[in-house]
Amino acid sequence: MTQTSSGVTDTEIILGVSAAFSGPSRGLGIELYRGASAYFTHINQQGGIAGRKVVLKTYDDGYQPDPSVKNTLKLMLEDEVFLLFGYVGTPTVTRVLPMLKKFQDRNIFLFFPFTGAQPQREPPYGDFAFNLRASYRQETAGLVDNFVRINRKRIAVFYQADAYGRSGWAGVRSALKRHGEQIVGEATYRRGEKFTGSMRKQVEILKASDPEAVICIGAYAACAAFARDAVNLGLRVPIANLSFVGSENLLKLLTEGQDNSESYTQLLVNSQVVPSYEETSTPAVQEYREMMQQYAPQPPEELVTEDYTPFAQSFVSLEGFLNAKLMVEILRRLSDAPQRSQLEDAVFSIRDFDLGIGEQVSFGPDRRQGLQRVYYTVVENDRFVTLDNWEDRFGKK
Amino acid sequence: MKIKKLFQKTRFGIFALFGMISLSTSALCIYTVDTHLSEEYENNSKNIAKTIADSSVDILLNRDLAALQSLIDQFVEIQSIKYIYITDESGEFLAHTFVPGIPEVIRADDPFKTEAIERNLPGMGDFVEVGSPILAGIAGTVHVGMDTGLIALKIQRAIGRQVYLICIILVVGFFAAIWLVNLAANPLGDLLAYAVERARGEDGASDDKLLSRDDEVGHLANLFFYVSEGKEAKSE
Repeated sequence: MTQTSSGVTDTEIILGVSAAFSGPSRGLGIELYRGASAYFTHINQQGGIAGRKVVLKTYDDGYQPDPSVKNTLKLMLEDEVFLLFGYVGTPTVTRVLPMLKKFQDRNIFLFFPFTGAQPQREPPYGDFAFNLRASYRQETAGLVDNFVRINRKRIAVFYQADAYGRSGWAGVRSALKRHGEQIVGEATYRRGEKFTGSMRKQVEILKASDPEAVICIGAYAACAAFARDAVNLGLRVPIANLSFVGSENLLKLLTEGQDNSESYTQLLVNSQVVPSYEETSTPAVQEYREMMQQYAPQPPEELVTEDYTPFAQSFVSLEGFLNAKLMVEILRRLSDAPQRSQLEDAVFSIRDFDLGIGEQVSFGPDRRQGLQRVYYTVVENDRFVTLDNWEDRFGKK
Repeated sequence: MKIKKLFQKTRFGIFALFGMISLSTSALCIYTVDTHLSEEYENNSKNIAKTIADSSVDILLNRDLAALQSLIDQFVEIQSIKYIYITDESGEFLAHTFVPGIPEVIRADDPFKTEAIERNLPGMGDFVEVGSPILAGIAGTVHVGMDTGLIALKIQRAIGRQVYLICIILVVGFFAAIWLVNLAANPLGDLLAYAVERARGEDGASDDKLLSRDDEVGHLANLFFYVSEGKEAKSE
């Protein structure tokens, strides 16, 4: 029998995951894992990939860079997984990328991290990662273009004081530059901020710049706290969030037990990198909803140490589901004796692949990101729905 | 009685001498440690600013600002460094570590300044800020702020440890000197008592012990004995 790479046995293909399963951003790691887990469970029940089941070796990094680096070392050197999959966050992934370069002779690739930052999309580390989702540049450019189109040109930025926040900030700055504009105000918060924390100072800083819209680049707990305090302090302008925010968790914080929930959410607009899970006419969405219901995936028991109530459906778990679906397709294109060295060619063989969301996926040596489309959603009746008309919703009266 | 006074003066002299030595050593130590550590902290921040400036060139020219932010975030984890910000050649802020925002004092200042300056940032504290140009200044400037309160605390701790050691040496030295003085003073006291007894023609219980000593005190006691015996023989 031909020899396989580490991480592949006669019965299993082991993928390594390091993500947030604890801390204020645990909802992102848990939901991404649940979505992926639903699809992998389905494939495993169908007999796996050439008789091998897909197994996720998972560690918690709490969305912190140092644990993420340690977990990755463990996954690569001790667990010897076949590849890395479904990492969460820019500050974590940007620290992990140099390790992939260091061990490049082992051909370990990072697949579909839950971040739209540039470092894993461009040299010197772009060759070690494959992305499915659109980038933060595309998300921020879309938001800025739409705001400018409806004559909301004075844009301020509220962002996480780290690589993720900077990546989004740079996207907004660059998009505004194209329109001959610049960021009118900016305020930051520390990673790990909770919803119970106050964002009063940040709101006051931004309010002083008299913005016509605010773009938030953060995680759900801090962004929800900002939206709450902005409304409470009279900053009544559209507040946009990127896909990373975790829309359902954000909405839950702003609506559950809040007297003022409608005013907190009516000016929200969230960009998404996957279609709405409410669009049941989309084949992949239908498949996702069925599998989430059928398998009711749960996060790894040993990693969940804090209370968390999973969502039946969410944008994050749908993204995890699509990541897993494409991952399975790539693994199927390997030989019967999978080798890490075959991975790149298998990915590049994906051309106009129909993932079931109405957008064809293609990869190539100069194309390491599968999807390009950005969707926009707003809150209606306590749920996120697709935004049809920017002018009607956010146009200046 | 006179001997006691003599040794009291000696003890006081020793205490004064040790006190003076301790005070002057402590003062010199405070000055040296303060100067050296302050210089070292300033040099360290200059080196860090230079390291970031050197590493930033490639990132600024070829890569995304997220990589630059990731770089400065790693440096700000070093103790005493409280903030880092990077401005481009036009003075625009490209990356920084301030929360909730860039202080107005810094926004209003010259972004190309590289010499060490002392800053007070409202709500944040006092800092020493140093700068380093990126690519001789044509690509921007890196600024590193060190918390002077934290530096002062570290210097105080270092000085405190040295002064504590000096105080221990002072106390131990003082009691050792007292013990040594007493070692000389007690036999002299006995000798004085013996001389008084001999002068009064009395015999003491400890006379033999004193006379049998093989040192200066013993010799003097024997001398007193012979002188007083000769005097008694003459008077008889």
